[in-house]
Amino acid sequence: MNYPDLAMNAAQSLGAEYADIRIQKTTDQVIFLRNLSLKNTSNNVLDGYGIRVFKDGAWGFAHSSRFSEEELLATVKRAYEIATLSASVNKNKKLRLAPERSYIASYTTPMKTDPLCVPFQEKVELMLEVNRILLAHEGIRQAIFYLISHRDEKVFASTLGTRLELNTGWIDPMIIATAIHEGDSQSRTFDEGGRATGWEWIESLNLTEKAKQIAEEALIKVKADTLGPEERRSLVLDPNHLGLTMHESVGHPTELDRVLGWEADYAGISFATPEKLKNYQYGSPIVNFVGDNTLCEGLATAGFDDDGVPGQKWHIIKDGILNEYGSTRDTALEIGLEHSRGCNRATYYYDQPINRIPNLYLLPGAKELTPAELIADTEDGVYIQGRGSFSIDQHRVNFQFGGDFFWEIKNGKLERPLKKVLYKSCNPEFWNSCDAICDQRWWRPFGVINCGKGQPSQSARMTHGAAPARFRNIRVGGSQ
Amino acid sequence: MKPLFEKIAQYIKNHCQADDYTLSIQSRDSHETRFAQNAITQHIAGSTLEINLEVAFENKTGSCSVNQDDPDSLDHLIRTAESIARLNRPDPEFLPSLGAQDLPAVQNADPITRELAPQQMVQIVQAAIDQAKGFGATVSGMTEKHYGEELRATKNGFWGTDSETQFGHSMTLKKAEVETKVSYSAKNFGGFSLEQDFDRLRSQAESLADMHPFEPQKIAVILRPSALEELIWFMGWMMNRRQSDEGFTPFTGQLNQLFFGEKFSLQSTLRRPELLASPFNYQCVPSREIAWVENGILKNMPCDRYWAQNQGIEPLSSYNMHIPGGTASEEEMMSLVPRGLIINQFWYIRTVDAKAGELTGMTRDGVLYFEDGKVKHAVNNLRFNEIPHLATRRIKALGPAQLASAYSFLPTLLIEDFNFVDKTTF
Repeated sequence: MNYPDLAMNAAQSLGAEYADIRIQKTTDQVIFLRNLSLKNTSNNVLDGYGIRVFKDGAWGFAHSSRFSEEELLATVKRAYEIATLSASVNKNKKLRLAPERSYIASYTTPMKTDPLCVPFQEKVELMLEVNRILLAHEGIRQAIFYLISHRDEKVFASTLGTRLELNTGWIDPMIIATAIHEGDSQSRTFDEGGRATGWEWIESLNLTEKAKQIAEEALIKVKADTLGPEERRSLVLDPNHLGLTMHESVGHPTELDRVLGWEADYAGISFATPEKLKNYQYGSPIVNFVGDNTLCEGLATAGFDDDGVPGQKWHIIKDGILNEYGSTRDTALEIGLEHSRGCNRATYYYDQPINRIPNLYLLPGAKELTPAELIADTEDGVYIQGRGSFSIDQHRVNFQFGGDFFWEIKNGKLERPLKKVLYKSCNPEFWNSCDAICDQRWWRPFGVINCGKGQPSQSARMTHGAAPARFRNIRVGGSQ
Repeated sequence: MKPLFEKIAQYIKNHCQADDYTLSIQSRDSHETRFAQNAITQHIAGSTLEINLEVAFENKTGSCSVNQDDPDSLDHLIRTAESIARLNRPDPEFLPSLGAQDLPAVQNADPITRELAPQQMVQIVQAAIDQAKGFGATVSGMTEKHYGEELRATKNGFWGTDSETQFGHSMTLKKAEVETKVSYSAKNFGGFSLEQDFDRLRSQAESLADMHPFEPQKIAVILRPSALEELIWFMGWMMNRRQSDEGFTPFTGQLNQLFFGEKFSLQSTLRRPELLASPFNYQCVPSREIAWVENGILKNMPCDRYWAQNQGIEPLSSYNMHIPGGTASEEEMMSLVPRGLIINQFWYIRTVDAKAGELTGMTRDGVLYFEDGKVKHAVNNLRFNEIPHLATRRIKALGPAQLASAYSFLPTLLIEDFNFVDKTTF
């Protein structure tokens, strides 16, 4: 049976102005090893379809996991009926969809070896070896290895005539070593946040060497000093850490649905309002952020979004100035954009897609600069690696971040390891304090696989990237 | 219980070859209407099904989940779980599944809530928008209804079922620079009154109109139940028996010690009919009355079956949250300290230091400054870095406990010297 044609014809017969169907099968394999005990070894499949109907300026979305003609038509009807109900409320405030052409296309995440096809035992043996290495270090009391392999198989069709087949996949290994020393407990984590690629990435990571490194660093960290009272200092941030900083302080504030107030009740709104476009000094002139849903191995790279809009690449911040947002078909026209930037994504078949952060990265510095040179040029500061505590207000202005591993910088040298470091800053102070970014040789991507947003809550993925960068005159200190 | 669940359970029983298994089936019927800036932006309806099978051959385990109930899918479920288990390494912490248990009688589903029609939900949204327009404001929020059923069964004879309803309606109102929120979440639609909630929203908005800048500092706070709920959930995640016994949390070595403030108690309870309470947990352990903290003494912590057996104690899970209250009104609380802040809600709470139990987060949805027993004006939002179990030692007064959400029954607390460390621009 041709479900897409059947659904689209039914929606049009009912009177839908626009409709689409997303048939989506999601497969997750999760292996969770705590010390040497396998806590979770599971294969999970979610298979179903979601149908969106747009009618009189309002959406209706219905979903089902039952594949039959009768159920499909009932689901279309349900979507249409609730769109009609929504429209009765939206009489004076109709949503509008940005124009889009039709596409017939397919996309598959490039990979040599599908992680879901790698023998289960091979994964478990690797994980056990890593945890044995961690636990062999005296003082390491807990070893965690969490491995997720993910695949989405989607068919998308719309009443515009679009027909898409999108097959994407990613893999994410996360390893945590926790040390105990004199009443304190500190962890060091290997977490690159996932990548849209195959098992070959895992093989290239040399995880047994990484295990030795994080075990040793966890032991250094638990015995390290704290920084003491908060003072204005320089920060040198590694790309992994910057991934989360930019996610919270640039990615979310530039989602157009937040800018429009659509997330006011839950995830929050944005200080980066439309009158600031093309004139607001979000960062220093060396700060350039690019949204790029064509990025190779990017977690948000899928060929098309769930509006059927192709992946694009554009400046979100250009030479420090707020340039554009990440947008969707139902948000773009609200601020006079001509088309969507293709940022509408749903997590599972039963989720209505919402405005999401694209793959978003900080462009490397134009001048040659190595991390060693950057540190050598810093008199008094802290070098932060990895992700730690993070919290930001619901307008995306004030934030506090921790990290995973810290070194005090004194007179251009890494003087001593530290623990429990926090920094506080706000927009636009933080990105305007960026005075140096290492060059492209040091640019690295880092993924986010658990970006929570929306009601009902959805968890999205995207990739960030940066080269090490320096920020001047930031409030940095130890926790309580 | 749905006949479908019994049919699936019978199929698994007939076809699963493993030495042991635990089957979990959950279905959920949901209707969610999301509105923002006085218009509906999302409107979702549908049913989901999740069938999870965890099997074991001796102490080698594997699990699989699917969301289809046809024989092919169920065969895939069994084959995959069994294949993982056969190939897996032995789990030194494996325990056989539980057999039949005496389960507490609970009433988690309300028939009126279950039958709530989409038209009724849209009428609620329309009424909220009309009220907001009449007040010269915009409103954003969500109206949602859920009906869920669950079956958990094991090869060793455990058989547990539950069904529950939930209704929620939240509203964030924005008028000029003022933003504030009221939300209702309960298993029962019958307790909901839009007029009452909107009156509260309007009153909160009016009280926030006169905003003054305020610097971060240690100051007394009146934490309303919605703010307290966020804080205690995050603290609760650190209250894990094994993690504590192994030295990773602030609760290490503190069992049966006066570790919290003496005015503070924390329970999971089957005795509050307003609260949802699952009759069993993910390991098929029956729910029972649990005192986590009693008059400041740490009595229990959540513990899985393996660690409970290892330590010779009972396995326990938190299934809802009740903090017994007192009698103080907000007015009385304001008279007990020279000055302080009234906090509606916290937001973006995260762990700063897991071993110390330190959390950070921001205030949200309105902060009021009071002095000499009276509210003076609103202030900007603030960031805290605070250790909740230490904060309970500074509780000066408690208000009557009330329904904060479908899972929480909490009082308003007056806490001295709450540690605010930063402020934001609004």
